[in-house]
Amino acid sequence: MSVVLKEHQQMLHQMVVDFARKEIKPLDMQIDKQQAYPKELWHKIIETGFLGLIVPNEFGGANFDAIAEAQTIFDIACNNASVAFTLEGHYKTVDQVKKYAKDSLKEKYLPQANKRIFGFGSTEPQGGSNIMGHSASAIKEGDYWILNGNKTMITNGGLAEVYLVLLKTAPEELTCFLVDKDMPGFKFGKQEDFFGMRGTPVGEIFLENVKVTDEYMIGKIGQGAEIGDQAHYDARINMGAIAAGICQHALDVVLDYAKQRKAIDKPIIELFSIQNKITEIAIAKENSQLLYEEAAKLKNEGKPYAKVATMAKSYGSRAAFSACDHALQVLGGYGYSKEYPIEHLLRDARALQIAEGSLEKMVIEIAKEVQKEVV
Amino acid sequence: MSLHIVVCVKQVPVSNNLKIDPVTKNVMRSSEPGIMNPFDQNAIEAALKMKERYGAKVTLLSMGPKNFEITLRQGLAMGADDAILLSSRAFGGADTLATGYVLSQAIKALGDVHLVFFGRQSIDADTGQVGPIVAEFLNWPQITYISQIYPVDNKSIEAVRLMENMEQSIKVTLPAVFTVRSELNEPRYATPRNIMLSYQKDIQVWDEKKLDVDPNRIGIKGSPTVVRKVWTPKKIVKKSESLGEDPDSAARKLLQILRARNII
Repeated sequence: MSVVLKEHQQMLHQMVVDFARKEIKPLDMQIDKQQAYPKELWHKIIETGFLGLIVPNEFGGANFDAIAEAQTIFDIACNNASVAFTLEGHYKTVDQVKKYAKDSLKEKYLPQANKRIFGFGSTEPQGGSNIMGHSASAIKEGDYWILNGNKTMITNGGLAEVYLVLLKTAPEELTCFLVDKDMPGFKFGKQEDFFGMRGTPVGEIFLENVKVTDEYMIGKIGQGAEIGDQAHYDARINMGAIAAGICQHALDVVLDYAKQRKAIDKPIIELFSIQNKITEIAIAKENSQLLYEEAAKLKNEGKPYAKVATMAKSYGSRAAFSACDHALQVLGGYGYSKEYPIEHLLRDARALQIAEGSLEKMVIEIAKEVQKEVV
Repeated sequence: MSLHIVVCVKQVPVSNNLKIDPVTKNVMRSSEPGIMNPFDQNAIEAALKMKERYGAKVTLLSMGPKNFEITLRQGLAMGADDAILLSSRAFGGADTLATGYVLSQAIKALGDVHLVFFGRQSIDADTGQVGPIVAEFLNWPQITYISQIYPVDNKSIEAVRLMENMEQSIKVTLPAVFTVRSELNEPRYATPRNIMLSYQKDIQVWDEKKLDVDPNRIGIKGSPTVVRKVWTPKKIVKKSESLGEDPDSAARKLLQILRARNII
């Protein structure tokens, strides 16, 4: 850990570790198998106040900063990456409401963010990261905007009740709106059947003549692309935290196994080849952690953090996948078996190379940022 | 009914860091951060449940150095309303008697207290004495080792006292002192919001000048306890047998056993 937690952040960290070990860890395998969270778990998560972690005090939340947020995501991901991923999807959306929504909408929706899950809808069936290729639209008719189209691959889609969506308001103009599942014309579509992060619902929503006032516009007309990018940058800090958490989870399983499993009468942890893999996993975790913590620190300080956040996700997602591969090799047949969590960690880690911007998109963005720095 | 509940809490060393002073044989309370005594979390939970059900103000009370504030903040983060730290060099070196005396004087100073909760004992010194001592100083009734509390009216409380081989149901009038077992409840988690808010609250620090205390009854002066030796006693397991619930049949069985052993 590179950052020193303040006393209140340390108290939060201890509470989250305690909660995650007692309430989430025992359900880790079940969440993957059943492709869902037990209802009681989600009820406990909401009642304990995790959804309100970054909601300002005046709206009933805890108002913790980016460092505490990323630490919380990491602490949870050490026990189950899906729960951390769902919270990441919620936090990045709430963050944009905090930054861009009109005061009246903040007063209406930020108190609700303590109890209702939020999601961010950007991707469409015809286009992923190429947001200008989208077709979902918002057309002004009198005092109202009429919203139409569909958004897919939404983290928390189906579970979330409030969504930010990027919609075309002109051929080359994207604008962000808030929609609520209770609005007339809002419909849920299919749920994805992914092979990793199976606890986190990823789904589709349809907007059919959903009518909203200007109040529901997040930011200004044409600011949608910027808000979409911001959501990505905020999310990528937490994606790095999830990656580091998966590495730690794998490391815990590997250490436990390698101390007990014997080869020629001695624990395999004494073998150089096993120590080599343990070292690789530990380095992957530590490096991933350094990157996301640095990004969170920059965000707290009000400095540009997009580049380091993108690096945290890019490096972390590859490091976590590689760490899980090493872990699988240490456990051998048991690593490949559904009896142990390693195979699901490997599947979970793979999602991190796609969600919140593909690895390929990360390359373009980091290269662009780095070139700007060359004098 | 609006109750004022005081919960007395103690910061204890992390159990695997527990060190005994070789000279005084007392627990060494270093500057290392400790944890809240786990049984005290059950005491706070009991108070918070009453607050939710009947309406109450929950005040935390602790005696110790300034670094005990963190434990009080943990209690505030669970949902307590106020916290008072009794802290002064003059209180240092107190045994259970001197501690109980100072705590009881603080409770008297608060004035309008209806219930005082303690954990059954602390996990460092393990005496379980401070709660009962406070009750005696206050001259209030007490129920120790509580595993269950029945609904409360504004004059009395009935609770189940769980002992090794028996349960007792006891009713006391208020105000009263209670020590609670972990069987009573599952302490809630501190919420992120309450953690944040606990750091925005002031913890009152009271010293001997704030309290009406006899200087000869506080700190080392007021502590008659001398620890000669600390050791782990051998656990003596005594064989026991239940003779059933019917008194007539139990009496007959007991008579048979005593005769068989030539006791009578």
